[in-house]
Amino acid sequence: MKVELYNHIVRNGLTRRTMLKGAASTAALAAMGGAVPALADGHSALRAAIMKIPGVGMGSPGDAEWQKVGEMCLGPVKDRVKPGEFKGVELTFMGLNNQNLHNFLFRGFLKPWEAYTGAKINWIDLAQADYNPRLQQSIATKTVDFDIIEMGAPFEGDTAGQGLLNEMPDWVKDQIDYDDLVGYLQPPVGTWDGKAYRINIDGDCHTFCYRTDYFGSGSITGRANPPKTWQEVNQISKDVVGKKDPLTGLPAHGFLDPLKGWGGFGMYFLTDRAGPYVKHPDDPAFLFDIDTMKPRINNPGWVQAIQDVMDLIKIDGAYPADQINADPGTTGFQQFLAGTGSMLTWWGDIGSNARTNDSSVIGDVVGFSMIPGSDKVYNSKKGAWENTYNEAPNNAYLGWGVYVTNRVEGDSKKRKAAWSAAAHIGGKDISLWTSAYPSGFQPYRNSHFVYDEWEAAGYDRAFIEDYLGSNLDTYNHPNSLNEPRIPGIFQYYSVAEDELAKGFAGQYSSAQETADAIAAAWEKITDSIGRESQIKLYKASMGL
Amino acid sequence: MSASEGNYLHIVMPDQISDTRRNFGRFIIWGSAVLLILTVLLQSLDQSNFLSFGFENWRPTLYAYLFWAFCLCLGQVILYGEQGKRRLFILPAVLFVISVVIFPLIFALGIAFSSWNLSSPDGRQFNGLANVYQMWSDPFYWNALKNMIYYTLAILFEYIIAFSLALLLNTQIRARKFFRVAFLMPLMLSPVAVSWMIGKSMLEARFGPISRLARELGWENPSFFGSHEMARAVIMMMDAWTFIPLMMIMILAGLQAIPKEMHEAADVDGAPPWKKFWEITFPLMLPVSITAILIRIIFKLKLADIIINVTSGGPGGATDSVTSFIFREYRDRSNVGYGTFLAIFYLIIIVILMTILIKIADKWMRPRY
Repeated sequence: MKVELYNHIVRNGLTRRTMLKGAASTAALAAMGGAVPALADGHSALRAAIMKIPGVGMGSPGDAEWQKVGEMCLGPVKDRVKPGEFKGVELTFMGLNNQNLHNFLFRGFLKPWEAYTGAKINWIDLAQADYNPRLQQSIATKTVDFDIIEMGAPFEGDTAGQGLLNEMPDWVKDQIDYDDLVGYLQPPVGTWDGKAYRINIDGDCHTFCYRTDYFGSGSITGRANPPKTWQEVNQISKDVVGKKDPLTGLPAHGFLDPLKGWGGFGMYFLTDRAGPYVKHPDDPAFLFDIDTMKPRINNPGWVQAIQDVMDLIKIDGAYPADQINADPGTTGFQQFLAGTGSMLTWWGDIGSNARTNDSSVIGDVVGFSMIPGSDKVYNSKKGAWENTYNEAPNNAYLGWGVYVTNRVEGDSKKRKAAWSAAAHIGGKDISLWTSAYPSGFQPYRNSHFVYDEWEAAGYDRAFIEDYLGSNLDTYNHPNSLNEPRIPGIFQYYSVAEDELAKGFAGQYSSAQETADAIAAAWEKITDSIGRESQIKLYKASMGL
Repeated sequence: MSASEGNYLHIVMPDQISDTRRNFGRFIIWGSAVLLILTVLLQSLDQSNFLSFGFENWRPTLYAYLFWAFCLCLGQVILYGEQGKRRLFILPAVLFVISVVIFPLIFALGIAFSSWNLSSPDGRQFNGLANVYQMWSDPFYWNALKNMIYYTLAILFEYIIAFSLALLLNTQIRARKFFRVAFLMPLMLSPVAVSWMIGKSMLEARFGPISRLARELGWENPSFFGSHEMARAVIMMMDAWTFIPLMMIMILAGLQAIPKEMHEAADVDGAPPWKKFWEITFPLMLPVSITAILIRIIFKLKLADIIINVTSGGPGGATDSVTSFIFREYRDRSNVGYGTFLAIFYLIIIVILMTILIKIADKWMRPRY
């Protein structure tokens, strides 16, 4: 048995001891099977070939590469669709245009599909911040004008819950190898009332990214290893003030908190900090009390997380200049990848961009781990702190998926076309490529964690094990944060961003006052949406 | 010109309209009105699920309205002949304004007094004065209104700069035409482009060329949007840079319209330049100046795009404008009812303010010849 494969299995939650037990041994082999088939099946040559487009270190891929990958991965489509079968069909696809990826990528992937099937796709491109209102308006005004939508699981309550989605046909499940998913993305995520609606194209979790040159012998932090707790993170941020960054020679900085909102998405970053303080292993809830929807945002755990940020704001030089105007896009792409700051939490994009994005300077000095824990956790039920080490990594947003709306119902040709297009961009092989190259998506299938494939593509083995391992650890963590799939969740996040901005700008006298303002605003939102229905859906989303 | 070429006084005489024609005119107007009312009624019943007619959208009502509008216009001519044709000069415009301004405003008022959160399964619910009470205790809204006062006051400085530039371009300087075009360039740019080019790129704290220059000049950690005052001032400057050319071009047009004889007479009288400006140019330019300022105020009250792109209202609401706050309330929070109420309230403030300003300005508009 190869050492790395053994490590992979252990990361899946199996120990050496259980490996040696008979029954568990079988399970372990099955788990290995989940990881191995990509190399064992007939697609291995294809997978190896697409991983070389354009090749790690060969610059950022563009439309030519996307089309090429789309063309090479058309096999499963051709098995089920005749050439020109969808001639005359027009589909509308609504998705994002973040960093010129997402829809731009899909356009490239689907161009060969359009040429082969004869269908035509019209595109609705949305900026990240415009996505939520556009979708909500379409739903509320009953003007859904798209057949296929790129959507996050948090919106399943708004869409599937209102019967706006079309159920996934069985042939699609076969085409995309539906069961090849990491644990937390398995149903009920992607399903509603037992019906499957979602083709996964992304697995979302925040991981901890750090600069390896800030740690180790002779480093400016003087620490051998990266931090394991948020308390250590804050201490490092304070310790490096006044020192020079070893890579750029500019002022060194510690953790990069985004202090400006991002259409609600910025709230995930405070949640990264708060998770270990507020997510008690015995309690599935962390945002609201499940029975009353009473906000927990102003409990001592959340307040501690806000206070941690405020403590750093007060220290001149702890953050880069103008951090008050840095949103997560800035901290991830303009700061961390460009060599400013030494620690960050972000989605996996940072990992895949660190070595493939032209603007990244940190490819050789970046490391990854699970989000830090805390040496204390607040027990909301008991109303008291417990001085025990706690980890609670954040599966922020639960990943993007592709869904087909009920507009295709009643037209079998259009329905098949829509699902075929969605299945093509959510295909098993294409997803390997999107995991490995800048795409906005991160690994989400068991088959993505075959490190040999990445190594063969040109990735450094240690780097990729580090990067993928941090994802896998988070996906399978028993105390990870899975946000409630309730309507209007981004309204809560958005108003929290506004209040946090005031708190960070010093307009509230304390972290507690800031948190109280958020809690008051959240209560208003709950009342405006309907408290009873929110409680019901919250419980359902938590599997209670 | 000979008399045969039509040098006659054109007099509109009352047409001789037959009863048949009159009845036909009344029929098409009232017939189309009944059709419109019937369509609205049926669509309303269909919409409220009392009866089902299979309407997919409100287009039938729109078509019925357009048909009624056409019949109304046609009916005027049929009923009143030449007098009716005169009415056609204004009637289509009135109908258009009613369609795209009055109707939406009435609907907006309905929404403004509702609780309508797009995520709510209950849809829109009338909630009386709840939105008024919420606004009254909403610190974000009042903060944004306070910021609007600062932004509006900045127009005085913009006016001084615009006037100075206009005076400069009105003199015989070299490359005058080039400068006239060059100074107009910012106005041709979209504020969104300005916010990205300047706010997000040139002023970017680490790589922006202006930040680099600031570092060269000894400012160790330049931050253009870090403090409240600085952020507000930089937003004002970016907005001013975009719109000063608008005021400048209006003032320049006014300057060029001043008769040269007045300045020549002053020269003959031996008036010094400052006296000429203060006693001749400035008073003559008052009507144009006040018009330019009023137009600028209207533009300023809509300020949002630069703020949304660069600061999102931050830090801590220091740069928030009313429009950018409403945008956030509506877009990010899907809070349609409250957002609409805030917009309507703001509209009322603007209408009252502008009416007062125009009344005051009316006295100043008369030049002191």
